[in-house]
Amino acid sequence: MRGYLFKRLAQIVITFFLFLSAIFFLVDAQPGDYGNVFYSNPRLTPEQRQQLKANLGLDQPTWVRYTKWMSSFLQGDLGISFSNYPRPVIDVIAERAPRTIVLFMSATVVSFYFGFMAGKLLAWNRGGLVEYASTIGGVSLYTVFTPWFALIMIWVFAFRLGWFPIGKFIEPTAWIGAPTEVNDVFIRLIFTALIASVLLFTLLVSVGRLNTNQRRPATWIGMAVIAAGALIYWLNTGLGVYALDILWHLTLPIITLALISFAGSMLLTRNSMLETLREDYVLAARAKGISEKAIRDRHAARNAMLPVVTSFVFSLAFAIDGGVITETVFSWPGMGRTLLTAANAEDIPMVLGALVFTGTLALTAHLVADILYAYLDPRIRYA
Amino acid sequence: MTEPLLQVENLTMHYTTRAGELSAVDNVSFSLKKGEALGLVGESGCGKTSVALTVLKLLPENGYIKEGKIIVNGKDIVPYTEQEMRKVRWGEISMVFQAAMNALNPVYRVGDQIIEALEEHQPQMTNKEMKQKVTELFELVGLESALMDRFPHEFSGGMRQRAVIAMALSCGPDMIIADEPTTALDVIVQDSLLKEMREFQDQLGMAMIYISHDVGVIAEVSDRVGVMYAGRLAEMGTAEEIFHDPIHPYTMALMSSFPSTVGEKTDLVLLPGEPPDLLNPPTGCRFHPRCPYATDVCKEEQPEFKEHSPGHLAACWHPRGEQS
Amino acid sequence: MAETTITGSDLVKPDSLWRIRLRLSWQAFKKNAALFAENPVGLIGFAIILIFMLMAVAHPILINTVWDPVIYDPVTGIDITIPFHPSPPSPTHLLGTDSFGRDVLSQLMFSTASEFALGAVAAIVTVLIATTIGAVAAYYGGIIDTIFMRFADLVVMTPFVTLLIVLSTLFEVGMIELAIIIGLLGGFGSTTIIIKSQALTVKVRTYIEAARIAGGGDARIIFRHIIPNLLPLSFLYMMFTVTSAIFSEAVLSFFGLLNIRMSWGLMIFTTQFSGYLLDFEKWWLIYPASVAITAMCAAFYLVGRGIDEIINPRLRRR
Ligand SMILES: Nc1ncnc2c1ncn2[C@@H]1O[C@H](COP(=O)(O)OP(=O)(O)OP(=O)(O)O)[C@@H](O)[C@H]1O
Ligand SMILES: [Mg+2]
Repeated sequence: MRGYLFKRLAQIVITFFLFLSAIFFLVDAQPGDYGNVFYSNPRLTPEQRQQLKANLGLDQPTWVRYTKWMSSFLQGDLGISFSNYPRPVIDVIAERAPRTIVLFMSATVVSFYFGFMAGKLLAWNRGGLVEYASTIGGVSLYTVFTPWFALIMIWVFAFRLGWFPIGKFIEPTAWIGAPTEVNDVFIRLIFTALIASVLLFTLLVSVGRLNTNQRRPATWIGMAVIAAGALIYWLNTGLGVYALDILWHLTLPIITLALISFAGSMLLTRNSMLETLREDYVLAARAKGISEKAIRDRHAARNAMLPVVTSFVFSLAFAIDGGVITETVFSWPGMGRTLLTAANAEDIPMVLGALVFTGTLALTAHLVADILYAYLDPRIRYA
Repeated sequence: MTEPLLQVENLTMHYTTRAGELSAVDNVSFSLKKGEALGLVGESGCGKTSVALTVLKLLPENGYIKEGKIIVNGKDIVPYTEQEMRKVRWGEISMVFQAAMNALNPVYRVGDQIIEALEEHQPQMTNKEMKQKVTELFELVGLESALMDRFPHEFSGGMRQRAVIAMALSCGPDMIIADEPTTALDVIVQDSLLKEMREFQDQLGMAMIYISHDVGVIAEVSDRVGVMYAGRLAEMGTAEEIFHDPIHPYTMALMSSFPSTVGEKTDLVLLPGEPPDLLNPPTGCRFHPRCPYATDVCKEEQPEFKEHSPGHLAACWHPRGEQS
Repeated sequence: MAETTITGSDLVKPDSLWRIRLRLSWQAFKKNAALFAENPVGLIGFAIILIFMLMAVAHPILINTVWDPVIYDPVTGIDITIPFHPSPPSPTHLLGTDSFGRDVLSQLMFSTASEFALGAVAAIVTVLIATTIGAVAAYYGGIIDTIFMRFADLVVMTPFVTLLIVLSTLFEVGMIELAIIIGLLGGFGSTTIIIKSQALTVKVRTYIEAARIAGGGDARIIFRHIIPNLLPLSFLYMMFTVTSAIFSEAVLSFFGLLNIRMSWGLMIFTTQFSGYLLDFEKWWLIYPASVAITAMCAAFYLVGRGIDEIINPRLRRR
């Protein structure tokens, strides 16, 4: 397994550098250059224009600029954002990236879990109207024009039902006189979630050792303890209200994005499960006389999960795009919206910064999927 | 006489396909006594696997039992629900699958897959006892007990086959159906494994149905032999009768390719003509288009599967090629 | 099922080859069409595509007959008899007018043709590239394979819309450019990976060996033996490419990043631009275009799934 993961890691690092180079040359290939915004000013004399160009280092040959760009990137310098002048791009990313990561991760986990469950049941109970209805429903959800879908979600859950706010990251009026920054509360939220998930994972793994009839109560008790711990922490800090405000704004975007990706996982799982159900070991499991539920979950679904994890890589890009759209429609200030605003303002350093972030996110998710796959498939784990 | 373990009566099984009804098992009857070894032999596609799957009611969605009885230990299981079948499966009848190589789930340890069956059928056993049982089974089939904590991909073909046999033995069934248990293995492994299987069978007093397209394999292990052709039983008798005194021309053709010294292997002779299309099986005797002795009656009427001497049955209008 | 042609026998009688091939393809086509027709999923998709085709054909006819171009032109038309725009659906404007007084139905129908064109160009570019690369990479293996597959990994993890947002800030992107970019992204990305793995299985089949022994050159084997067997899968991925092309166009237009005159996405951009995006009373400004985008994307995707169930027997029921 170590060999496999090492190889994947190396591949991913190489891919990342290819990606960076691709970005550089893409920008380089544009008509004019990224200084256009500055020297398109008609009052500049040609000399001044030349001077500006030299200041920006744009008069040098491509490969010099390329090495420069790469080395400053490696030092964490992505330049200054024109539209957030004078904030460095890296600063803007540091502020907004956690938000997008949270949105993306929670939506992915939620959609994968439910998509997998739904796809599993769909393949198991094959046939009849349910199959066609859910296939067509699933495909519609998969191909729905995402901005419209987000608008419908806003219309139903924010306008009609009033359960959630219409958009934005926080309710500014509620934060007047708040003892701390928005991002501080948000980071604490992330850490809470992180610790809770680690604990939950440990719990689920250790519960697996228990007897079948002790598993369920142990799981519930463990989860209650974790929830109580988190609750006590937030009550103590006195920041609970603010955290709730952030969560309240976060929920609808997560649900929206999760629903968009849900259908993809469902359809994928269904096909994978249908193929697995034809495997001989499923027939053998049936011959062993074990229960239908165990055949479905322990034998078919467990194996059907492998191709689903593999094709996660294919749906990754789709989910990231969905995130950009969701953030935009919800006016939710994450990296996706930042990318779009920067694009409209022709703020090229910021656009590139956002693109680098996207690439990093995608590659990290790719690596996580690889690790998960290696963990799930003993042919790799014990190779 | 003791009651047979398994009695199959007039079993007819069809697959519904896009092109129509495919009659894969047609009016098949046979019985199996305690400790007996029955061989089923026939060309590829003649319905051997279908018979096995029908007996366990493990048919795919499109397969259904049209007619007949399957009496296991005195009870007809045809009307059984899935829930009731679960006890019959593995507890009374277990199976070694044709593609046994793929019968192990790649993501679980081999030992755990055997324990899974034990948990289902012997819930009173403790974890430790189950481990102990797996160790014994592994030793019985000639595998090191440490291998139980390994995954299927770490096993060679022969080892997997043995593991699958251990799995089939695990719940102490009354009978095992072994569908081409050795086809995928090389000849030497095949031979020793067959001998060993016959040994377990005698040792544990189980009944066994060996299925193969290889007459040599069947000759080596069976007490009685059934010859299948196009979904029907053509002939059935003791191994001695089938090999030395065949009645049905199809059996005769099979045997002519088979040297009289039992134990040597040859492949099935290629008969002239095509194996029949089970979607539109020939009328009358299904063998008639390829039969050298066929007459009009063969084309029109289905011969009865009847006794020619005690325990030696055949379905033929012209037994031993005689023109009456 | 996946093979629509039989290739081993080519070498015997080259003169009647084309007729045999044609007959076999026709038979295969008839059989596959019958299979396709059995599956409601694919048929629904097909029906939706037909409806859109009718819309695309009807628009120029209507403009030249009953619709006065001054009022109904999708880009420049305006109905001055109505005092306030956007106006709700009425007998003269079945789907109302937008904030500039243009007829929504006319815009909707006018855009259909270019969506088809966009999808077709993108799909053809994708499939040409992916099939060729897939076959070549699978046939030669080694370094060629590695280069293309690493590159494909890179493309696969690139989010289309995000990249296109960046590209549209750097370059002027119109319909044609967009179609080609999407075609390239698909062609060097996921589609190649999938087609290559299929090509690998085709390659190892024995008749390819036979063709090699009989002295076919590399090019001949690739184009005569491997690629024909990849075509059904390529056709399937054409459908999926159409979906992603139309979707990407709509999103980019919605963001106002494309240099085009009219499209479904642009209609919604106009709504947003005039501040009606969250005005849910004025549904005709959002729903017709959104439904059209969704339906068209879904239609091609459904047809793709219908085809998938034909060429992938493991998904089939029996
Ligand atoms: N699920 C199915 N649906 C339709 N037809 C089937 C199905 N399974 C088997 N058949 C058909 O039923 C007939 C008998 O098949 P079966 O697998 O029982 O033969 P077999 O004697 O075991 O052959 P082999 O030696 O190749 O294993 C064949 O003609 C086969 O094509
Ligand atoms: Mg068989």
